[in-house]
Amino acid sequence: MKRQALFNVGVLLLVLLFILSACGSQKTTVDNDGGTIVIALSREIPTLDPANYRMRECENVIRNIFDGLVTKTHDGKIVPEIAESWEAISDTEWEFKIRKGVTFHNGDPLTADDVVFSFERIIIEGGMEGQTSPRKGLMGPTSGVYKVDDYTVRFTMDEPNPTFLHGVVHQQIIPKAYFEEVGPEGFLKQPIGAGPFKFVSGTLNDQIVLERYDDYYGGSPDIPPVGPPALKRVIFKVIPEPSSAIAALKSGEVNIISGVPADMVPNLEADPNVIVKTVQGTRVYMLEMNNKMPPFDNPKVRQAMNYAIDMDGILEAIYGGNATRLPGALMPYSFGANPNLKPYEYNPEKAKQLLKEAGVTKLQVVIDTEPKRQNVALAMAAMLQEIGIDAQVRNWEWGVLESEIKKGTRQMYMTEWGDSWLDPVGFLNPKFRTNDRANWSHYSNERVDELLTRAERIIDSKIREEIYHEVEEILYEEAPIVFGYTLMEVEASTANVENWQPSMDGRQNMHRVRITN
Amino acid sequence: MKGIKILERLLATIPVILGIAVIVFLFMRLTPGDPVDIMMGREGMVTEAEIEALREEFNLNEPLHVQLFIFFKGLFSGDLGNSITRGVPVIQLIKDTLPATIELAIGALLFALVIALPIGIISAVKQDSIFDRIAMAGSFLGISMPGFWLGIVLIIVFSVNLGWLPSQGRLSYLVYLERITGFHVIDAIVTGNIPALLNALKHLLLPSITLGASMAAIIARVMRSSMLEVLKQDYVMLARSKGLSKWLVVLRHCLKNAMMPTITVVGMQVGVLLGGNMIVESVFGWPGLGRLVVDAIFNRDYPLVQGVVMFYAFTFVMANFFVDVIYTYINPKIEM
Repeated sequence: MKRQALFNVGVLLLVLLFILSACGSQKTTVDNDGGTIVIALSREIPTLDPANYRMRECENVIRNIFDGLVTKTHDGKIVPEIAESWEAISDTEWEFKIRKGVTFHNGDPLTADDVVFSFERIIIEGGMEGQTSPRKGLMGPTSGVYKVDDYTVRFTMDEPNPTFLHGVVHQQIIPKAYFEEVGPEGFLKQPIGAGPFKFVSGTLNDQIVLERYDDYYGGSPDIPPVGPPALKRVIFKVIPEPSSAIAALKSGEVNIISGVPADMVPNLEADPNVIVKTVQGTRVYMLEMNNKMPPFDNPKVRQAMNYAIDMDGILEAIYGGNATRLPGALMPYSFGANPNLKPYEYNPEKAKQLLKEAGVTKLQVVIDTEPKRQNVALAMAAMLQEIGIDAQVRNWEWGVLESEIKKGTRQMYMTEWGDSWLDPVGFLNPKFRTNDRANWSHYSNERVDELLTRAERIIDSKIREEIYHEVEEILYEEAPIVFGYTLMEVEASTANVENWQPSMDGRQNMHRVRITN
Repeated sequence: MKGIKILERLLATIPVILGIAVIVFLFMRLTPGDPVDIMMGREGMVTEAEIEALREEFNLNEPLHVQLFIFFKGLFSGDLGNSITRGVPVIQLIKDTLPATIELAIGALLFALVIALPIGIISAVKQDSIFDRIAMAGSFLGISMPGFWLGIVLIIVFSVNLGWLPSQGRLSYLVYLERITGFHVIDAIVTGNIPALLNALKHLLLPSITLGASMAAIIARVMRSSMLEVLKQDYVMLARSKGLSKWLVVLRHCLKNAMMPTITVVGMQVGVLLGGNMIVESVFGWPGLGRLVVDAIFNRDYPLVQGVVMFYAFTFVMANFFVDVIYTYINPKIEM
């Protein structure tokens, strides 16, 4: 009798499972109102305050809710957004004309006051309710922002700032009156911007639901089509585990995923319901050496490392066609890249010769890496072993490795640095100026320091370009690092997503995207 | 008398918890890595002044003992500080994510008990039968399967191939549910929201099975062996010889005594359910405490890690305490 009861419970559970699975499919469907798109976010985002973050994923969500003065096309050109036009009045003053008829999601018109308020929170020390915005550095020496009239704003800076416009791209406008009315906490609960979608509900660690703003002014006239968004709803869903994100894409639970690992591309391409798209990435991956630690304090040894590693071979084997080797420190399509540089050839004999000249007979190295680039590091170590170096690979968690690198206790390490501006100011300066923020190779050269500091404050792009060419030549000769590579960024969508184009800086703007059945 | 003893035990947990607080604080500070460096990411321009201002703001420039003092001062006034990366009070973050984690833990526990208790009992009563052999082989599998792998397999079968169950999150985006307790199942029942209830249960199913599988396997084995032990006792034979039916004896006389070791195991597994669910939460996009703390550790978000670990420690200590208390009621021969 009891057995019968157990059996009944089992049957009941099974029935429950079937009922549960029968009610409502997860697949996104299109209603006649434009439909809903679901985007996988690879990590939780900390905030929806446009002044208080430093994370690409966060910017992805924020820039669907908030618009800025200017924006970028998917291939990196700066075009107007809320600003109608702009001009540099002098080397240290810029003036922006603001588009009329732009409104926030609560219906308030966007005027110069809002622009001034938004930028003051960012550029003034302690301007963000007593805190300093972590986005201040992006604006360089910009020191003031003033209202000229209701639709004109002027920026002033202490020194000329050649990357000023790049910085403006990353700052979004918030409504002054609303913010002051509800306060910072109220604003975070119900953020309001002038972007294509308005925030409806959601939690940052789970899913964020946005809905079309019907009175949207249309977006940048330089990125057609201009007009209200086609989609009714945009949902960002946090899925930290890459294989889960891929499974969710295949089951139709999400429509767009980004950061697809290279080894998953063939699997996704074979799925008829999935479209894979790639775009040139802007992160540089390199093998750095500790220039302060013998024998890497000798340029000959560092050059030898560049000759000893068959970078083309490694990239072909691991990434197929999805990697681009860099001839020097900069990406070839970056501003200021020296077109005359040819990548170091793969020449183990020459490497051995250089080591001999440097008096290095026995060398033991450990290449430090994070697990995600372990395969590249292992291939590099194998090549170093071929010229008689005892090379090993060690895996680290980045936070630990970074602090060890900064202390100067490590020898060789795989690192990465993002350069979405494609401008050396955000790349060469932090990486190769003495003691700068990301100078992990501990490289120091007076001439390079002087040139980099000078170029940071020159507006004339011709002169800047020449300076960077010289810097690149010096770096090429002194080889503080083994020059690395950049990867294609792989994103994938379900087949019913249209008009969607991954962009170089990883931004996912849904304004122009459509979804069909 | 018993009451006083229980109170004594309760007071004894305080030094344990304070000790944990100090250890967590020191371990976080001794781990290499700088919260501000990590926060500013690996791209773009940042000025030295900006980095200094942020360090200042998070008290990172203070000497260690001053930071410890600040931490303890907050602790005693019930304030765990603000998260460095999110700028929100740690208590708030725990409150927001805890219901998700507990809901999943309860789901897993229910799954484990519903599956494991009958299997354990039947296997013991029908020792060496085919059922017993299959069940024990199955439980061996349950113990050895990594949660990560099981989760992905379940997703591939039930979400990707069959399309029956959702694989990510707690609720579909178009399902409206008023937040009262934060426990979706309870909120849905309280508000009489049937669609949301079904939707929440659907989302709960796969993660619960994944998290509960190894626990079910362990409980089934413990239940079986303790039941076998009890079945050999004289009083069982006596009851049987009085003519009581086999299952009546098992369920009425043996079960209570055989439950003791099982309760111990369940008590210990509560910690595993709360603390060991980081992987399951990641695989199923479940917005819980486990994922929060992993994220906080990678970001060196000191206040958040401290807060969450303190919370875990507290739960663990309390779970053990309650198991001890329950013992004394189930078996009066045991004293505190």
